[in-house]
Amino acid sequence: MPRYFIDTSDGDRSILDEEGIDLADDAAARLSALDALPDMARDVIPDGDERRLSVSVRNAEGEVIYHATLTLAGHWERDDRARAAMPDGSV
Amino acid sequence: MTRPKAFTEREDDSLTEFEPLLQMLSHRDVLSDYERELVAGLKRRIVRIPKGGELVATHSRPSESCLVLQGFTAREVYLKSGERQITAIHVPGDFVDLHALTLKTMDHSVVALSDCEAAFVPHGELLRVIEKSQHLGRLFWLSTVIDAAIQRAWIAGIGRRSSVEHLGHLVCELFCRLEAVGLTDGQSFKFPITQPELADILGLSLVHVNRTLQDLRRRGLIVWKGGTLTVPDLKQLAAMADFDPTYLNLVVEPR
Repeated sequence: MPRYFIDTSDGDRSILDEEGIDLADDAAARLSALDALPDMARDVIPDGDERRLSVSVRNAEGEVIYHATLTLAGHWERDDRARAAMPDGSV
Repeated sequence: MTRPKAFTEREDDSLTEFEPLLQMLSHRDVLSDYERELVAGLKRRIVRIPKGGELVATHSRPSESCLVLQGFTAREVYLKSGERQITAIHVPGDFVDLHALTLKTMDHSVVALSDCEAAFVPHGELLRVIEKSQHLGRLFWLSTVIDAAIQRAWIAGIGRRSSVEHLGHLVCELFCRLEAVGLTDGQSFKFPITQPELADILGLSLVHVNRTLQDLRRRGLIVWKGGTLTVPDLKQLAAMADFDPTYLNLVVEPR
């Protein structure tokens, strides 16, 4: 089975996969990368209204063959609610 | 999924064979010489099971209970999708299916995570010993109650802990359980588990398990090299993981 390297970032910390994992093919590597996104999201959300999580798959030759991002974009619909939600009343 | 079934059996009547079980019980209560003799005298067949081999099959109706003597084993549940959840790890001194004595039909299987040695004890033998010593009966009962306590801790981990706390909690638990049967050197223990297996234990994706391991390593909380896991500072790891060993009942008191 070919070796793939799956790099991840949860928006705070990027991790370069130096060990790699053996997977059946490119499609399996894509699934394995996508599978990580909800786990990463669960660990860091809720914390703020904006976040970008990402995964990249490199093949054994070092070429990035797949990239995916999961984006959180939250906002209040009214300014007064946004002010009320802040601990010190400021925005 | 097909599993190797290359079981080899050997005759062995060494009295020290059940030492891990006696150690496990002695960490919970004082055993009399008579009780030790009863345990050591349990008739059994000793079986070596290679990594990946099945100790107990799902839907089987075992007539024996299986005690781990060497190696790591896991209870596992397979889903229709082919995905697996490991619901328990058993280490030397643990009966993997003492509950089958009363459950009769297995609702899950037990598999060897490393090369293992196990003792299969006929249910009739266990009943004979329990009838001779009610106290031993209660201690066997206790071991299944502790299994349930461990399951509660695992459910809390899967359901509510962050990944890094969950993994840290598991490492603390295994450290305590292995130390109780003399299988740590004070800081390190043999951890013959692969990252995909760890993912099936934690209910996390393989990539996220790898990420979480790197996090623990980066903070200096664990070192995992060549099948040996080292915990440089158990107190620090326990504090990070919110680990309270009460559920393991590693307290000697009358039971």
